[in-house]
Amino acid sequence: MNAIVFLLPIALVLGAIFAFLFLKAVRAGQFDDLDDPPTRMLKD
Amino acid sequence: MEEEAASGLPCCAHCGAAMEASLGRYCCHGCETAAAIISGAGLDRYYTEREALPPRPGAPVQGWSSVLPERLPDGHCSLRLQIDGMTCASCVWVTEKVLQATDGVEEAQVSYGTGRATLRWDPQRIDLEKIAARISALGYRPRPLEAAPTWDRALLLRLGVATFAAMNTMMLAISVYLGWWEGMDPRYSALFRWIQLLLATPVALWAAGPFFAAAAQGLRHRLLHMDLPVSLGIAVLYGHGVVATLLGEDAYLDSLTMLVALLLMGRVLEQRGRTQAAAAAASLAAVLPSVVRRVTPDGVENIAAEKLAVGDEIVVASGEEVGADGVVMRGEGSLRMALVTGESAPVRVVAGDRVVAGAALLEGNLRLRVDAVAAESLVSRMAKGLLQAGDRPVEPTLPDRVAPWFTAATLLVSTLTFTGWYLTGGLEPALRATVAVLVVACPCALALAAPLASAAGLGAAARRGVLLRSGDVLRRLAEVKEVALDKTGTLTGEELEVEEASDADLRIAAALERESIHPVARALVGEAMRRGIPLAEALKVQEVAGEGISGIIGGKRWVLGRGERGGELSLHADGEIPRRLRLKDRLRPDAAPTVAALKARGLRVVMLSGDHHDVAMQIGKAAGVDEVVAELRPEGKAAWLRGRPTLFVGDGLNDGPALRAAAVGIAMAKGAASSLMIADGVVVTEALGPLLAGLRAAEYSRAAVRGNLRRSLVYNLCAVAAAAAGLVNPLVAALLMPLSSGLVIWGAARIERQLVKESEG
Repeated sequence: MNAIVFLLPIALVLGAIFAFLFLKAVRAGQFDDLDDPPTRMLKD
Repeated sequence: MEEEAASGLPCCAHCGAAMEASLGRYCCHGCETAAAIISGAGLDRYYTEREALPPRPGAPVQGWSSVLPERLPDGHCSLRLQIDGMTCASCVWVTEKVLQATDGVEEAQVSYGTGRATLRWDPQRIDLEKIAARISALGYRPRPLEAAPTWDRALLLRLGVATFAAMNTMMLAISVYLGWWEGMDPRYSALFRWIQLLLATPVALWAAGPFFAAAAQGLRHRLLHMDLPVSLGIAVLYGHGVVATLLGEDAYLDSLTMLVALLLMGRVLEQRGRTQAAAAAASLAAVLPSVVRRVTPDGVENIAAEKLAVGDEIVVASGEEVGADGVVMRGEGSLRMALVTGESAPVRVVAGDRVVAGAALLEGNLRLRVDAVAAESLVSRMAKGLLQAGDRPVEPTLPDRVAPWFTAATLLVSTLTFTGWYLTGGLEPALRATVAVLVVACPCALALAAPLASAAGLGAAARRGVLLRSGDVLRRLAEVKEVALDKTGTLTGEELEVEEASDADLRIAAALERESIHPVARALVGEAMRRGIPLAEALKVQEVAGEGISGIIGGKRWVLGRGERGGELSLHADGEIPRRLRLKDRLRPDAAPTVAALKARGLRVVMLSGDHHDVAMQIGKAAGVDEVVAELRPEGKAAWLRGRPTLFVGDGLNDGPALRAAAVGIAMAKGAASSLMIADGVVVTEALGPLLAGLRAAEYSRAAVRGNLRRSLVYNLCAVAAAAAGLVNPLVAALLMPLSSGLVIWGAARIERQLVKESEG
């Protein structure tokens, strides 16, 4: 059970990294247009 | 690729129009150019893969010199364009590829869903005018896009953070709850609780910010709406969480993060729907700054309409729009002022008459002396007046109206609970039970009920071609008992129809107008194609001032000009008696079925028109409306609508007051920019059918809100009773809350399913 003391912070840090990546993606405008990109691949 | 029409005649290899074999492969110069561009870019595949025929290319749109693109640091220019007329995926594909293959264009992306293009180009090598001309040459119509309303990214960030915290607290909370039965080392449960508090803190203090802000604002205006009990709940949950963690007891932090995440999700969905509607209205409304041709001592120059001064003289040719208010100095012609006055019949003007900006010259040639500059023209004054009138007040939603009672009831019950438990069991159980009451009473489901049902209803309506501005519009639409339709531009499209013309005359008239794209030309060429009359070859086609259009067909010189009365054309050859062709407004193809369907739903359908009574009656009868109110001035329409539970559908600039006065005002996509800006919604396709879908979506959405309200009230009642009895602990709360929210989400998701089922059955 002692492992949890290390595993929990690691899990949280990993989660935080993804949360941070999400923030970056939102700021970069990746969520501004959700309808068009799926159809783009059909055009090539 | 050599196709043949049903009549056995060859077809134009580009646009598919039937034509005489003598013309070669293409019916007109425009099609030949378009085909050359497409094969020049190596895109011949377009012709084998397209699912729809392209429009016939017309003259390039002017006015690009006054559009200011965004300057990028690397010296390139960037701009977003709206491209109209693209009807299939191949259109989008060919447009994008042609742009990408254009020398000087660095980047081009065309959106299939919206028809928007994002361009980046090198101003040293190409200018915007040339790019636009290339798009026009393919037959599509580009126009600059106003800055699209962007949505609040901060809200999405809050949702992201809240969801992250909710998932992690829940995971930790499950371990702690399992520990109740399995037993757990107190050191671990303490660690888990502290981490939960750590995760919940940014959620309560930052992510939930919008709810606190809204509640505070409501209090300042002495309004008790849904955000108040929600904020109260969040505050109690977090306050209790801090104290409980310090004391080493179980808290409701998993419920807290989940609640905030769900509520933010509702907000994000609601906002997405609203921004989409606003963006669509803005893109439909963006109009090209018009260019006028000013007469100078050395000839004629193209300048932006804003640069005109009072006293300047401008020339207007047939097919063009009048760029400024003025008095006719020379020439004559017939003007279509449908967008300005709502009158569909063309008006004849001669020297000395006054004309207004925005009118379209159907045929003729005018020279005007400008007497009002763009900003003071009738059109812009009307538009400004409408926009200044401001937004209509938003009615409180049903849940918002319940909120004060709800808050009062919650406070009452928690006071009673506290007193009851304090008298019987002492302070500690009293506090425990009171917190539980406040926690389960937090009306998460109630607060989600309206935004989710609105978002689902707006989305369902938008997918069917009618964009509504907000959930408030959807609510008002559900209360509508009557539908009033404008005649010109709503029941009838902008297209004209040939009412009377012999085949022989039509053959010649269509040949003369073959290269033009204005409504008269489209009507003539379209009718000729419908009757299977091949497009003949006309030589030396030219516009003759004051006469019309002339050309040589079969060795004779023919002139097509204005007839004696409005809506009439006269066609004559040298030394022959003039023949007459008559045009009229065309009822939209789905007008009559839509009117019938509206009536079948128990709605009264009325047609409002500014036209003469007889003309209006004729169209009204063809459409099958219950009542025709004709000869109404714009203010008359507004007065007629005021106070009635009526949905008004209109398009013109003159419909602005009526759109605003009606309970719900919806504009047609091709309408005047100002009416699109003030309308509650926009029908984005060239049809009336979407109105039906909008009305149905509104009805289902109202039913969903009511159902959700009932379900969540029942839930809250039971949960509060249980909490007051001391039966609720953090685990029960954690199970109940998602259950109630899930019910609400299910209620909203049913709207789309109901609509699909209805259209299938």
